[in-house]
Amino acid sequence: MSLQASTQFAMKTCEKLGADEAEAFAQKQRTVEVVLERGEIQNERVKVHQGIGIRFIKNRKLGFAFSSDISKKNIQATCRNASVLSRTSISNPDWVSLSTPTKVPKVIGIYDKEVAAFNSEDVLRLAERAYKAVKEYDKRAFIDDGKFTVTSTEVAISNSHGIDLAEKNTFLFCYLICVAKEHGEVSSMAFEYEVARSVQFSPEKIGRSSAEKAVASLRPRATKSFKGKVILDPDPASTILLYPIIYSVNAENVQRRRSIWMNKLGEKVAAKQLSITDDGLLPNGIGSSSFDAEGVSRQKTQVISKGALKNFLYNSFTANKEKRKSTGNASRENYYMLPTVSASNFVVDSGKKKLDDILAEVEKGIIVRRFSGNIRPDSGEFSGIAKQASYIEKGEVKHALRETMISGNTFQALMNIIEIGSETRPTFLKTYAPPILLNNINIISK
Amino acid sequence: MLNVLSKCLEKSAADYVEMRNHRRESLTIVIKDGKVDALNNGAIEGVCVRVLVNKSWGLASTTILDRKNIEKALKEATSLAKASKPAKKREVNLAEVKSHKADYVTPMKRDPRKADKEELVRLVVDTDKEVRGFSKKIASDNISFSVVDDDLTFLSSEGAQISQRIVRCFGSVMVTAREKGNIASAYEGMGAQSGLEVLKKKPLNEVGKIAAERADKLVSAKVALGGVFPVILENKIVGLLAHEAVGHCAEADLVHSGSFLRDKIGKRVASGIVTLVDDGRFSDGLGTMMYDDEGVPTEKTVIIDKGVCQNFLHSRETAYDFGVKPTGNARAWDFEFDPIIRMRNTYIESGDYSLEELAEGIKEGYFLKGGLGGQADFTGEFMFGTQEAVRIKNGRLGESFRGVTICGNAFAVLKKVDAIGKNFIMRAGRCGKEQINYVGMGGASLRTELLLGGTK
Repeated sequence: MSLQASTQFAMKTCEKLGADEAEAFAQKQRTVEVVLERGEIQNERVKVHQGIGIRFIKNRKLGFAFSSDISKKNIQATCRNASVLSRTSISNPDWVSLSTPTKVPKVIGIYDKEVAAFNSEDVLRLAERAYKAVKEYDKRAFIDDGKFTVTSTEVAISNSHGIDLAEKNTFLFCYLICVAKEHGEVSSMAFEYEVARSVQFSPEKIGRSSAEKAVASLRPRATKSFKGKVILDPDPASTILLYPIIYSVNAENVQRRRSIWMNKLGEKVAAKQLSITDDGLLPNGIGSSSFDAEGVSRQKTQVISKGALKNFLYNSFTANKEKRKSTGNASRENYYMLPTVSASNFVVDSGKKKLDDILAEVEKGIIVRRFSGNIRPDSGEFSGIAKQASYIEKGEVKHALRETMISGNTFQALMNIIEIGSETRPTFLKTYAPPILLNNINIISK
Repeated sequence: MLNVLSKCLEKSAADYVEMRNHRRESLTIVIKDGKVDALNNGAIEGVCVRVLVNKSWGLASTTILDRKNIEKALKEATSLAKASKPAKKREVNLAEVKSHKADYVTPMKRDPRKADKEELVRLVVDTDKEVRGFSKKIASDNISFSVVDDDLTFLSSEGAQISQRIVRCFGSVMVTAREKGNIASAYEGMGAQSGLEVLKKKPLNEVGKIAAERADKLVSAKVALGGVFPVILENKIVGLLAHEAVGHCAEADLVHSGSFLRDKIGKRVASGIVTLVDDGRFSDGLGTMMYDDEGVPTEKTVIIDKGVCQNFLHSRETAYDFGVKPTGNARAWDFEFDPIIRMRNTYIESGDYSLEELAEGIKEGYFLKGGLGGQADFTGEFMFGTQEAVRIKNGRLGESFRGVTICGNAFAVLKKVDAIGKNFIMRAGRCGKEQINYVGMGGASLRTELLLGGTK
């Protein structure tokens, strides 16, 4: 039975069981993984998994059951389980309806036939190219660990309102963690990665860049604590600045009064340099698909325009609550999870200046290339260690920093953006982020 | 299933084969702002095959559980092991162990799998009511309770045959408070490898109350100051220190890579009052198993004894390399992963100070409460978040501030531990190291010195 045939079969079963509404979401995934550890190829894995998740609604009571067994007999049992669960549950007065069919566009570049056919040797070759690049970059650099993961996924979704869709995608996530060793000193762990739909990136670049970051963090020195300028690389910019934005424009958080921006549509929430679009249809986008996890067509939604808050992101539940249309932002990590609201591709408009030019204009500050800390996405407080961070004086990188922390508030920091860089890259939070220069950040040292 | 696995095992031409069948069933009840999200129940099941061919590992897994697909996985694992051999420099040797035949089930007084689901729904509903009724400032809450039932079978070509049925219960409460445009949230959880009797020891509504109280209090609070301060770490977060700061450095794979502890066996690495243990059999511990996922019996491993580094945590492979006995620390999250070295229940042994006595020694510092996520480098530099920082002035507890992330070098911090409390507690945690896993983290409140990432 094809994946789509299994979701269709589940719908028929739920109908017979007397569901008011029902939805089946099935997923089949093949993963090939090469694990590097202690500077060597350590392990390889081929993983095949599949499963189905059923939402069963009766009298506004919701049951959800899942199983990794998608045989006919077991799909029937899973539907029965969902039906029993819905009876045990308590009705949700906010429940309106599952999603209804929309016109689904075609998105390009999310499935690569070549990648889908990758075997372990192909993935091994990618890992070896990165591995070699580390060695060639600098003798002091060593790989601590890394993983090259290639997945090929098929999803199918059917619901009782006539949604009946299927799609395939491929995904690559490759990372390396390097350390540099010199005269008995071991640097902090430097992290570099790529996320992509096809092999459009250079594995050598992952190797070179992680080695470069590790070597650059050798011989760290402390600096005195001060409040001032911080350049965030795309990855820390994404975790410190974009993660709380994604949380705050999530309609569920807005409706549940957990978003600091709940009454701020149209208001200025960031410096005018900042514009962000959630683009579910971005060609080759790591978060792209033609429909979301509830079968609603993906779309482009302007979230922030020149610093002003424009729109929130909705799935069908939150959209129904406000009697409006879903923005196609339902997502589920897996068939055994219920759909939630999340960003698709969260794209920051790039600025004009290159990172080097931004750095050249910093009189005194630091650059942070990895952030190891905690961020409270609701209130915006962040604090943590600035990893692979360097001290900048008079437009030049002076030295690596030791045991230096940064702290502040994301929502204040957004108002204090001085410059947005031009070099945007995909991050594993499914954002497309450039480097960002901030002012007034606490830089704390011993 | 056992039969199918045994038959496949016999067929293999590899030097060594492990087969793990893992079925994980879960039941989850989530309430958001008084409304039931969905009752959620289901199971995932798969088989993982790991083989050793010419001293090279290969691994494959499948959720399609007929003989044909399991044999295919076995073939795939074997060819992976062969294909990657030329790229691997290091040879895999396994420390010898006795092949066990055993059966283990989590001791339970009230089996949560047989509990009335309506009763569990009521438990969550009642907690939600208490939390939202705590004060007008409470804007939103998420209450969840779940039961996770792991059914594990381990077979090896050396003749091991081990069944383990591990049942864990979890509760969590997230509360958001709002006042005058300010927002603060708090999180509190409970969990144990146990039946529902755990709810008598740690009632879910008490968990809810702690979170509600904290969010309510912190919504109008400022952020703590930044810099180096003497601190008391609350018992609930001392386990994070044991786990993040020290435990990872004692994992033999990281020791091999050059972690801080690499040359420290027999040497002083902490203050003389610090004894730090990773225990695979701690009663009710979230990380407790009788056998690890390589079929090795678990044990209580003393990492630091009265300040002196004694042991590392091992798999069969690292035990061979180090010439020691495996400690039973090879654990896999599910059937998609190979067992790697993981902690189980890691804790610092308690002392005899009361909270007041711990505070007495501090002129200007903080009492840090409530844990958030943490990370560590193998150099010993670690960080983890705290939710609340209570100011200490001249030995007295005062005003509450919003918590901040703390950091330091684990061993510098451990050397500064000068007093340990008597209020020992074992907490439920999850750790991510390439794959996640359930761990226990424990300890009693203690006094040390740390860098706080607060305001300037």
